[in-house]
Amino acid sequence: MADTKTRADLVDPASLAALGRIEVIARWVVEGFLTGLHRSPRKGFSVEFAEHRAYQPGDDLRFLDWKVVARADKWLIKQFEEETNLKATIVLDVSKSMAWSGAPGRITKLAYAEQVAAAVAWLLLRQRDGVGLIRFDDEVRTVIPPRGRSVQWRRIITALEDPGSGKGSDAPGALMKAAQLVTRPGMVVVISDLLVNEEEMAKAVSVLRAVGHDVTVLHIMDPAERDLAIAKMETELIDTETAASVNVMLSEVRDAYRETVQVAIGEWRDRLSATGAAYEPVYTDQPFGVALRRAFAARQHLP
Amino acid sequence: MNFLAPLALLLAGATAVPLVLHLLRRRTGEKVDFPAIRYLLRAEREHSRQLKLRNLLLMLLRVGAVLALALAAARPIGRLAGSSHAPTAIAIVLDNSLSTSVVVNGAPVLARLKDAARTAIGRANASDRLWLVTADSRVVGGSVSAVRAALDRTEPLAGAGDLHAAVTRAAQLVRGGGLPSRQVAILTDGQATSWASAVSLDGVAATVFAPAMAPPKNRGVVSALAEPPHWTPRGAVRATTTATDSVTYRVALGSRAAARGIVAPGEDIVVRLAPNERGWIAGAVELEPDELRGDDVRWFAVHVGSAPGVNAETAAGPFVRTAVDALVQEGRVARGNDVTVAGAESARKPGVLFAPTEAVQLGAANRALERAGIPWKFGAARTGPAPVTGAGLAGVSALRWYAIEPRGVQEQGSVDTIARVGSDPWAVAGDGYVLVASPLTADGTDLPLRASWVPWLGSAIADHLSGDAGSITEAAPGASIARPAWARELEEPDGTRRAVTASRIEAPTRAGVYFWLRGTQRAGALVVNPEVSESDLTRLPIAALRSRFTGAEVAATDDAGKWTSSAFSFSGRRALDGVFIVLALLLLLAEAVVTRAIAPKED
Repeated sequence: MADTKTRADLVDPASLAALGRIEVIARWVVEGFLTGLHRSPRKGFSVEFAEHRAYQPGDDLRFLDWKVVARADKWLIKQFEEETNLKATIVLDVSKSMAWSGAPGRITKLAYAEQVAAAVAWLLLRQRDGVGLIRFDDEVRTVIPPRGRSVQWRRIITALEDPGSGKGSDAPGALMKAAQLVTRPGMVVVISDLLVNEEEMAKAVSVLRAVGHDVTVLHIMDPAERDLAIAKMETELIDTETAASVNVMLSEVRDAYRETVQVAIGEWRDRLSATGAAYEPVYTDQPFGVALRRAFAARQHLP
Repeated sequence: MNFLAPLALLLAGATAVPLVLHLLRRRTGEKVDFPAIRYLLRAEREHSRQLKLRNLLLMLLRVGAVLALALAAARPIGRLAGSSHAPTAIAIVLDNSLSTSVVVNGAPVLARLKDAARTAIGRANASDRLWLVTADSRVVGGSVSAVRAALDRTEPLAGAGDLHAAVTRAAQLVRGGGLPSRQVAILTDGQATSWASAVSLDGVAATVFAPAMAPPKNRGVVSALAEPPHWTPRGAVRATTTATDSVTYRVALGSRAAARGIVAPGEDIVVRLAPNERGWIAGAVELEPDELRGDDVRWFAVHVGSAPGVNAETAAGPFVRTAVDALVQEGRVARGNDVTVAGAESARKPGVLFAPTEAVQLGAANRALERAGIPWKFGAARTGPAPVTGAGLAGVSALRWYAIEPRGVQEQGSVDTIARVGSDPWAVAGDGYVLVASPLTADGTDLPLRASWVPWLGSAIADHLSGDAGSITEAAPGASIARPAWARELEEPDGTRRAVTASRIEAPTRAGVYFWLRGTQRAGALVVNPEVSESDLTRLPIAALRSRFTGAEVAATDDAGKWTSSAFSFSGRRALDGVFIVLALLLLLAEAVVTRAIAPKED
């Protein structure tokens, strides 16, 4: 087993983000991710058979071509060819609520989401899939149609390095835009904190699913949002997007809040599952590899 | 429950702090950005009932803790449930002053006080120490039966007694009782004049009972005097009442009624009499009875003698002759040689003697005084004018006078300075003489020009020169009085005699006229009457009465049932500050548990 400390996909995201630019980090993450992939029982996504090669000790026996072994007594491993016609669109929420971190040593949800988006993009481009990017807040800020060319990586990275802007989140609008960009069935990865209108969001996802897209929603949450882990006892909490405020004795409502968040996560899961979309909550203190794995593991389970 | 430091209850106001914090807590927070506020709002909406209950519980625990601490600081004393009274030293102070004999609603107040005391005594047991202290500070202690018997025997005093002394005495008794639980139980009518000032309990807890009943309108005789005290044989009785309506009166001399009449409110009773009896006579002024009988009669004493024969010497001047003529016409004196009114140069006893008209006669006057056995001599001349102070001499001035100097050692009590000019004696009286420092001339004094001249001369003759004058002592029942040096026995109203030897004696507790005896003869009178203040039945409100007792925990009530139930209550009572401190700690512990249950958890 490889040393997990050397794998970028398993390193603390805040520590990793401090090491370099986003494209560098994304490549490290993907490399680490792929390194561990051959050990994963869920490896081999969106690939097709290409050729045989001789078995080498350590190869996974599941990929041994047993028919050849039985017929010719030759130990050959089936190798697969990457699928090249996948069109994927990453829909990234860059609203104001994303630019928030619940603790000083933790990266913001936006930084985390951008890193995940870059890793997904790099992974797909590495497989010669077409990748596009849509950034949105209260309106669509960036639209990069899916392409599989090498220059696409630079365009995506450049777009990701643009600062966030507006206050609110118009995720349904961004999803509709994605549906327009990818005319044939493809893959849509939504990365957002989902502080949006639930009904409209579910409706937009339904539309995407109706045209045959595989939709994966990564719900980015800061651990403080999950646990209400704010040090102050008596606090006036202010919504970064709407400026609404609530005075609260945190110690008194914390349990109820946690319970409510878990209920809300369950509701998102149920609501999106009902449309056929995959939903995965991701916390910003988790390694990027977790988010990456969830993004693609979910796709494997799609019908 | 009572409090030794009730002011500390003001700390209970601190309960407002958690209340205010509870009400204001949602306005005291620090502002923090938080995007997921929608979940918070939803949590509050869905758990509002639970959150409110929890907050309410916390607030109640905090308020309770503050309240318990405030109560503990007030040093509460109370009785723990189920505890019987511990062995107690208890002194019952029974106010049996004259005012408690007033009849209200058909029964004397004293009877109600005794009933309450009887009930309290009934709660005593063999392990208690019990005393009964009455208003005259008489103490009966011992068994329950002995104290109960003493209570039954207790009658109203003829006067006010001394309730302050009784309470002090009671506190001393219980302190020395050798028992840790101590109590003074006070029963009183709450008369304002009896409790005009505060009395210290010196650390002994007390319960006070004063029945709630409006005092009746009272009328009484507040003064009765014979004017002058020595009648020759004519004189007058002057009395003052507190009647607010016209009331009939009766003046008695000896065993017979001397006068009757009706006196209007605000008027004095003045009755002029010339009794046939001679010597010291007891008299009384009586009003028709009302609810307080004790002050409806007031006693006085008078000495009745024959009119003395007075000789006004020619050298004494026209003023003397005119005055003696007037006194003769009034029947207060007769012409004769019993008493001489003269200049001192002709001094003779008994006599009213004036300073010589001329300074050259001073030596002759002093020699005459010495020959007459009068222990005074004239000294240096003085000039005025200067006011003369003395009974019956209001407005009189001395223009010229001589210093009156004692000659030799004088027996104490045998000489009476009856008037002064500044600090100089102006008129002195002794055995058989009245000596005046000024000559009775227009340049000596304006006394003969004043309206008071003739009455003064009559009084001087009657009071000091009419045979065996003696003296009158006024006293309240039980008061400490000085015995006249010459008195050896005291004759009581029923005629019995008792020897008196101490220089100070306690006045009899029964009102009336008692006579000092010199040998077998009456030589003076002791008149015992209740204090005038006892006629004022105004009562203190309970709170004011309670404030009259200092230095210890005091509970006062006008409810006999409450008072009797509070007897021995202090003995079963304990300091409860510890209980409240424990309660506060328990509440704070509970508060901590509840707070911890909702406190942030370390993940």
